[in-house]
Amino acid sequence: MTATTALTAKDFKSDLKPIWCPGCGDFGVLQSLYRALASIGRPPHEIAFVSGIGCSSRIPGYTTAYGFNSVHGRALPIAQGIKMARPELLVLVAGGDGDGFSIGGGHVPHAIRRNPDLTYIVMDNQIYGLTKGQLSPTSPCGLKTVTSGYGSLEQPVNPLLYTLSYGAGFVAQATPADMAGMTAVIEEAIRYPGFAFVNVQSPCVTYGQEEQQVKAHRAHMKSLASLGHDSKDRMRAFELAAQYGQELYTGVFYRNPEPPPTYGELIRARQTELATPLARERILDMFVQH
Amino acid sequence: MATLITSECINCGACEPECPNEAISAGADVYEIDQALCTECVGFHAKEACQSVCPVECCVPDPTRPEDEATLLARAVKLHPDRSFPPLAELPAELSRFRG
Repeated sequence: MTATTALTAKDFKSDLKPIWCPGCGDFGVLQSLYRALASIGRPPHEIAFVSGIGCSSRIPGYTTAYGFNSVHGRALPIAQGIKMARPELLVLVAGGDGDGFSIGGGHVPHAIRRNPDLTYIVMDNQIYGLTKGQLSPTSPCGLKTVTSGYGSLEQPVNPLLYTLSYGAGFVAQATPADMAGMTAVIEEAIRYPGFAFVNVQSPCVTYGQEEQQVKAHRAHMKSLASLGHDSKDRMRAFELAAQYGQELYTGVFYRNPEPPPTYGELIRARQTELATPLARERILDMFVQH
Repeated sequence: MATLITSECINCGACEPECPNEAISAGADVYEIDQALCTECVGFHAKEACQSVCPVECCVPDPTRPEDEATLLARAVKLHPDRSFPPLAELPAELSRFRG
């Protein structure tokens, strides 16, 4: 692991120009990520950045880190594999709300309960933007889209409650309307030793709702710090997270004050344990006895 | 005051094609406005075009470089010799942010 303090945001910016729509919230996520990575100080070649499919999943290509624009909804399994094989790498995972909570929804709980040291950033725009505006898992009930002409009849998935309830050790929310706040949250998520989840309310400027754009965020967002929320209080975090869709809270909902061992640490401890001759004999005994 | 893009900029590029003076370009960190080319949209719009489309509203008058309407209109005239502008006294509200 090489630590250097000489890195700047520019060192993480690739030559590829983003092709997101002008005004897209994802630009803000990218900019915050550049700044957070510069602050973390790990060089780009020590970072692996995995994404799924969707507008937001283009993000690894716009960084100088090693990137894998993978299969729809499968960013987390691939990232877990990378972290297992190369534990020294800083592994980032990103995607949209559809990729994370619909197509890949089943992978999220299992990644969380293993607790790999990953940072998962979801750019939640409440719509399928890349395919021109269909209902997504976080679309609000009643939303009219090309696939819900009379309004959606379904309640949205709550990404904050989803990750909190499966035991994620770090759960936060951010918006491009507060760049300094988003940069701080992403940096803290990367520094958390274990599975960290950041839900970014990143509006779709083309197919999103008028009242969900960044300008509107600025008017009604509330920082959890200003509410006096203690990020060690998991039950209070549940209450605040339950207001997803009604209130736009920014900052850290929950940070486990005593992070449990990561999956990688447990695996290495088990390998060490089994590598001793005594342990091998015990395994042999188990087979003999049965 | 030429318009200034603050560090709140998310680098989305929405402003760049809107500028009537082609004063905006991608900088090292965030987008930048060439102050020699900025007229705060005097002669073109009622409000700065960049600020109108900016999703985070980070295109603001630079407080360190105050410039009056006459200076900005003169700059617009100089930058666009082929275009006709009304004289300062007759500048309508839809062509100057100073008259809104």
